[in-house]
Amino acid sequence: MMSVALPRQRFALLIGIVGLALLCLFFLFPLSRIFDASFLDPKGTHLTLANYGKILGSGFYQQAIANSFEIGAFATLLTVLLAVPLAFALARLSIAGKSALLALVVLPLVLPSFVSAYALLLMLGRAGLATQALRDLGIPFGSIYGTPGIVAVYTLTLYPYVLLPTLAGLKAIDVSVEEASRNLGASRWRGFWTVTLPIVVPSVLSGALLVFIETLENFGVPIVLAEDKPILSVEAFKLFVGETDQNPSSAGVLGVLLIVSTALVLLIQRHYLARRRFATGARRSPPLIPIGRASLVAASVACWAVVLSSLLPFFAVVVLSFMKFRGPVLQGGFSLDNFADLLGRSARPLENTLMLSGLAAVIAALIGVPIGYAITRFRSTLTNILEIVATMPFAVAGTVLGIGLIISFNSGALVLTGGWLIMVIAYVVRKLPFSVRSSASILHQIDPSLEEASINLGVAPVMTFARLTVPLMLGGIIGGMVLTWVTVSSELSATVVLYSGEWQTLTVVMFQALEGTGAGTAVAAASLLVVITLVPLAFVYRLLRRYEASLL
Amino acid sequence: MANITLDGVNRSFGSVRAVHDISLTIADGEFFTLLGPSGCGKTTLLRMVAGFAELETGEIRFGERRIDTLPAHRRNTGMVFQNYAIFPNLKVSDNVAYGLRARKIGAPEIAERVARALRLVKLAEHNDRWPHQLSGGQLQRVAIARALVIEPEVLLLDEPLSNLDAKLRVEMRGEIRQLQQTLGITAIYVTHDQEEALAISDRIAVMRAGRFEQIGAPEEIYRRPSTPFVAEFMGTTNLLQGNVGSNGASIKVGGTEFAVPRLEAPEGTAISFSLRPEALRPLLDNEAAPDGWAIVSAKLARLEFLGALTRIEANLSHGAPLRAAWLDLPLHRLKAGDPLRFAYDPGRVTVFA
Repeated sequence: MMSVALPRQRFALLIGIVGLALLCLFFLFPLSRIFDASFLDPKGTHLTLANYGKILGSGFYQQAIANSFEIGAFATLLTVLLAVPLAFALARLSIAGKSALLALVVLPLVLPSFVSAYALLLMLGRAGLATQALRDLGIPFGSIYGTPGIVAVYTLTLYPYVLLPTLAGLKAIDVSVEEASRNLGASRWRGFWTVTLPIVVPSVLSGALLVFIETLENFGVPIVLAEDKPILSVEAFKLFVGETDQNPSSAGVLGVLLIVSTALVLLIQRHYLARRRFATGARRSPPLIPIGRASLVAASVACWAVVLSSLLPFFAVVVLSFMKFRGPVLQGGFSLDNFADLLGRSARPLENTLMLSGLAAVIAALIGVPIGYAITRFRSTLTNILEIVATMPFAVAGTVLGIGLIISFNSGALVLTGGWLIMVIAYVVRKLPFSVRSSASILHQIDPSLEEASINLGVAPVMTFARLTVPLMLGGIIGGMVLTWVTVSSELSATVVLYSGEWQTLTVVMFQALEGTGAGTAVAAASLLVVITLVPLAFVYRLLRRYEASLL
Repeated sequence: MANITLDGVNRSFGSVRAVHDISLTIADGEFFTLLGPSGCGKTTLLRMVAGFAELETGEIRFGERRIDTLPAHRRNTGMVFQNYAIFPNLKVSDNVAYGLRARKIGAPEIAERVARALRLVKLAEHNDRWPHQLSGGQLQRVAIARALVIEPEVLLLDEPLSNLDAKLRVEMRGEIRQLQQTLGITAIYVTHDQEEALAISDRIAVMRAGRFEQIGAPEEIYRRPSTPFVAEFMGTTNLLQGNVGSNGASIKVGGTEFAVPRLEAPEGTAISFSLRPEALRPLLDNEAAPDGWAIVSAKLARLEFLGALTRIEANLSHGAPLRAAWLDLPLHRLKAGDPLRFAYDPGRVTVFA
């Protein structure tokens, strides 16, 4: 057991303690308050299980739970059915424009899914463009509201969660394993079913569970498309906002249910699947499979169709934002009115989005990078706990975290509600897992002996970290910050609970416009969001690969 | 079981001729080794027989049957890969059963043949384990069992031991050889390790830049190398250049004269020869050379004590190095710079054309 007096160990200890302290205050404490809330009666005076009884016994909430799980199951199934063949095609066939495709498939991970939902609404909703057109042609179009639309949006925006690990898994199979299969007499087809596919199943399931978690936590898509169908994350929000009692007990119950579901799924994913990754130590990936020209064309078309369909809504939104709207109805014709309306009233939402995201990105990096460093370079009980706690926020829905933060900080010693700080805190906590895992994966590629050489030459550990390690990691850190900035700009679920007055962001504007008549303004806001997302991404496009790696 | 014929086989990768007009017949039941440095074409040749590399020209036949036109999974060869290529998603017994299942053999027969194969490689108790639970040596045995259980026409081994540690390598090569002899199966073995090749082969083909330098039994390759390349590749040797001496049975190297078997070439012709270090016996004190042996004088440069063997580095009068090796002689009295005489049987000298 190393002496704690050693400078290196002290450094790691310091990071560990500070990191855990921050996480306890701004993450674990709010969560505990939610648990408390669920067990206290509405007056907040005594413990009771009545809240659970009320919620779980209510048909409405039972329906909400059932709906959420049903949608999750469907979406997960469809993403797998979509992503696995796509992964196989990209890994083993010479698809036309493959490198462009590989760059595009990562985009749905960072583009806001509720924008996609909103676009679907505009195109295929009751008053949608395409619906109207089809009706004029005499073709009745079913309703996209409720499960179908939500599942469709989830499938098209979440499939990269399954695609990317599966693709990585397929590339990591050493060619000799597939050759051995053929040598022993199995045809290529048989080899695929008996060897290749089973080897990537853990990666597929791993990604599928992440999809399931995301569907449970997501707020933006159901708020756009669910209409009357009760969904857990939306109902939790509604309960909290509508709560008049001293203690938000009902919202607390739903919050707990959400946390428990996602945490359970995440645990399963971590324990049973992340470990069972079949490492074959690939030295050479299997070569591309030669297939007939017609089949190759068909496969290429199919791949491009999938990828373009998932990006089409965003494209549509940008185009629509330049058209005239009257209330919620599209008038057609080029116009910049929407942007004028949006920014004319106040440029504040745009400024807030840019500023709060930027702040969150910097702070998440400042906290996440040292934590990533500590858990990669120093294995100890403390760093193990730190790693677990730092990645826990992944299992907590934004809505729930927002509720917890409000309960914790609207009175007492630290009052943060009503300001911008509480929003930034929520963003930082939500993005911390990404920041930590991304810096950990960068560090894995930097040999520890470099730092040891520096220390050996007389430079203290903290200085070595600052002068040597951070510069080496800088490219990755900046890329990570840009990605954080970009994804926080489109954050909705926590923002909508935590914002107040002058601190509206673009996503809030969109959210408000959904209810009201300002479809044009909403579309302009959405379009701005897409641009804010894509432009910086173009600059760090190569670093998107790191994003994939840290997700998996 | 059949003999294997390669006929006029050629293959280029871009401008590089990986396999250059190779023709060869391997007898039924023979353990044939392709030996050479990296890039010599030995692995390409093996993969051609397996069906994982295409032939540009030529044919490959098992007996009378032409097989180079068959796809890999219908050639009935059993290949053992360098990195074992064990299927990580299947248990040991399922790995071994894989080829049998592909041949649609019935379950009871599969069970019996798998059990037998695992007993053959001494892994019977491990049949229910997962690959990640086994060591490298054990995985290699599973790979061997898996290739043998399908009773292939020929066993193909692609540097199967290079990922194992030294001691295990020596142990496993003996076991592979024994298995091959017991089953009487034809085997083609690829390696870059000349000691391995010498130890277990019936015949060795030394390859270089896509061609055969020499094919022969181990002792012939070692004792009568046909080219300087082969002489240097197999163990260590002294490769010396000189001119034919006056009596037609000597070669002058600098100021030193070496006695060699009778030469046809006229006096003065430039010529090279190989003399193995272990053929040079150090004569201590005033020891006399055995009958018929010649003597060469040199100056000791250094001694390398390797336990069973001592390597001697000496310099000839004109400065060129002469390496010798001997067992168990009390040479520690010598120091650098001391004069040292070596005796050798001229018959051990290999002269090159």
